[in-house]
Amino acid sequence: MAKGYRARGVRQGGWGRTGLAAVVSVAYFFPVLWIILTAFKTHNDALATPPKFLFHPTIENFIAVFRRSYIKGFEAVDTGFALFFFNSIFVSASSVVIALAIGTLAAYGFSRFPLRGNDTYLFIILTTRMLPPIVVIIPIFLMFRVAGLSGGYAGVMLLYTAFNLPFAIWMMKSFFDELSGDVEDAARVDGSSETRVFSRVALPQVRAGLAATAVFGLILTWNEFLFALLLTGVGTRTVPVAMAQTIGGDIGVRWGLLAAIETLFLVPVIVVSFLLQHQLLRGVTFGTIKR
Amino acid sequence: MSDLLVSGAVKRFGDVEALRGVDLEVGAGEFFCVLGPSGAGKTTLLRAVAGLERLDAGTIRSGGRDLTHAPVQGRGIGMIFQTFALYPHLTVHDNLAYPLREARLDPAQIERRVGEVAELLRIGHTLRRRPATLSGGEQQRVAIGRAIIRRSKLLLLDEPLTNLDAKLRHDTRVEFKRLHRELRMTMLYATPDQLEALTMAERIGVLREGRIVQVGTPRDLYQAPGDSFVAALVGAPRMNLLPAVLANGGRAVALPFLEVDGGPWATALGRFPAGTELWFGIRPHDLAPTVDAQAGPRFRATVHLTEPLGDVTVLDLTVGGTVFKMVLPEERAVRYRVGDEVPVGFAVANTHVFSRQTGTAIR
Repeated sequence: MAKGYRARGVRQGGWGRTGLAAVVSVAYFFPVLWIILTAFKTHNDALATPPKFLFHPTIENFIAVFRRSYIKGFEAVDTGFALFFFNSIFVSASSVVIALAIGTLAAYGFSRFPLRGNDTYLFIILTTRMLPPIVVIIPIFLMFRVAGLSGGYAGVMLLYTAFNLPFAIWMMKSFFDELSGDVEDAARVDGSSETRVFSRVALPQVRAGLAATAVFGLILTWNEFLFALLLTGVGTRTVPVAMAQTIGGDIGVRWGLLAAIETLFLVPVIVVSFLLQHQLLRGVTFGTIKR
Repeated sequence: MSDLLVSGAVKRFGDVEALRGVDLEVGAGEFFCVLGPSGAGKTTLLRAVAGLERLDAGTIRSGGRDLTHAPVQGRGIGMIFQTFALYPHLTVHDNLAYPLREARLDPAQIERRVGEVAELLRIGHTLRRRPATLSGGEQQRVAIGRAIIRRSKLLLLDEPLTNLDAKLRHDTRVEFKRLHRELRMTMLYATPDQLEALTMAERIGVLREGRIVQVGTPRDLYQAPGDSFVAALVGAPRMNLLPAVLANGGRAVALPFLEVDGGPWATALGRFPAGTELWFGIRPHDLAPTVDAQAGPRFRATVHLTEPLGDVTVLDLTVGGTVFKMVLPEERAVRYRVGDEVPVGFAVANTHVFSRQTGTAIR
């Protein structure tokens, strides 16, 4: 691959370009940095004008995420945020895993065993993502109500799976399309059954694609607010919903607390992206860097 | 004894007929080349034999078994793909071991065979590497290794040299001949390159638009091409095919600048009416300046272009609007320059005549 870079005349940028890239990166990263800084500020520091960049950090906000008193002077009580974090992780992870499992199989099918009107099917699958969620939310809410799916884990997981599926199918199909059919034929000649051609030859070649699809799906699901607001109950509430509810209050918004929730909320996304970064980098370039 | 018998093979892809009734018989242990231009159906034929394509009609038998409807797995055939088709996610070792693992051989035996094949193909040093880190020649040898490791009787090779550079092609041709001798496998080798076919094959089948048009030894095809297509395909530079008509009461072939008679085709021409349109064929190697030529037809032509190839030079000659090629050893060609007039002669025994209507050779 290194040879390929040289052949195409791609060179490492000089300090000028690197510096420019750094400035742009900081501009993009600044809001995130601001949130993280605010999470470590006291209420007064958080509201100070001009904004403070040097201050005594405190972790009181992080403690308050999980235990705080709702009325001044009363005993601090459990806020339930541990559960909400668990809910977010559980719901996102399971729906992405399910969508990825079904989506990968479907994508392989669409890619390798096309039906008559294959593209039509793919288009129909995509149309399920064309309506803005707000348009379908009332029918979905009613359907889930009648079916007894609202309020529990099953309902919201089902919905998120359905949301991730078209995206997983399309993305994984593009990765399968890029593989050489000869390699799979070679496996057939070498004695592999169709199942093993898929599991031993095709699937290992799209690991980068799986990682990229998983991360995109996770972020999408992790941040979803609207359906979570309507379809989760008290025990199955996810972090974005709980966060929104924290904004309300009689003594103004507690920015430090919100920032602390937000900071904790970022951690899983960063961890997953970090763990998968090698695969991800290959995945998100969508094969523009040739083997 | 035949090891592979294809009869009446027909394969359609939508409206396109890739194979239009191919009959082929390959002997046990034979090195058989399927020669044809791209699009002739070579790959489809090999894929059908491997079981990767299902025939619309016809049968395939190998090793005494009817394979026509047998699934691809378990046909016991090795195949080398034009793109090599190595498993990119596996090391060379695991690529070689793959067919054996799928056959559930015991691990000790797998190790032993991988070792043997790696030694046979001199790729022992690459076993722990991934295919992408290998040179083209090494990848090629891994592909060969993976195809022969199961010791199947029949090996299919689909243009295996197309993706290699010129030097490697030569080396690998030698390698294939060595492997064929050492492994005693039946080899069915598809190529668009007449040189590969002539140098390696024991017999060649020429495939044209989904049909086998001629089968024979390299010598047969070179000396007695069955039609003008084979004549133009086999031999380099290609045979000169000049438009001519049957003249002189059906005995002589009239070129615009010369009348030739008494060739090996003379008797057979008697069956055709005068005025029949013909191709007159002569190989560039069979033309020579008359100072050296024996008795026979001769004419004067003008040098139009010279192409020195090192040991020989190809001269493009023109005579009255007709352009053709002559090959001369370098030392004899140096004296001719563009614009010079050359007296050219040839032996009638080396000439070919084809019907312009059907392309069939007349002899």
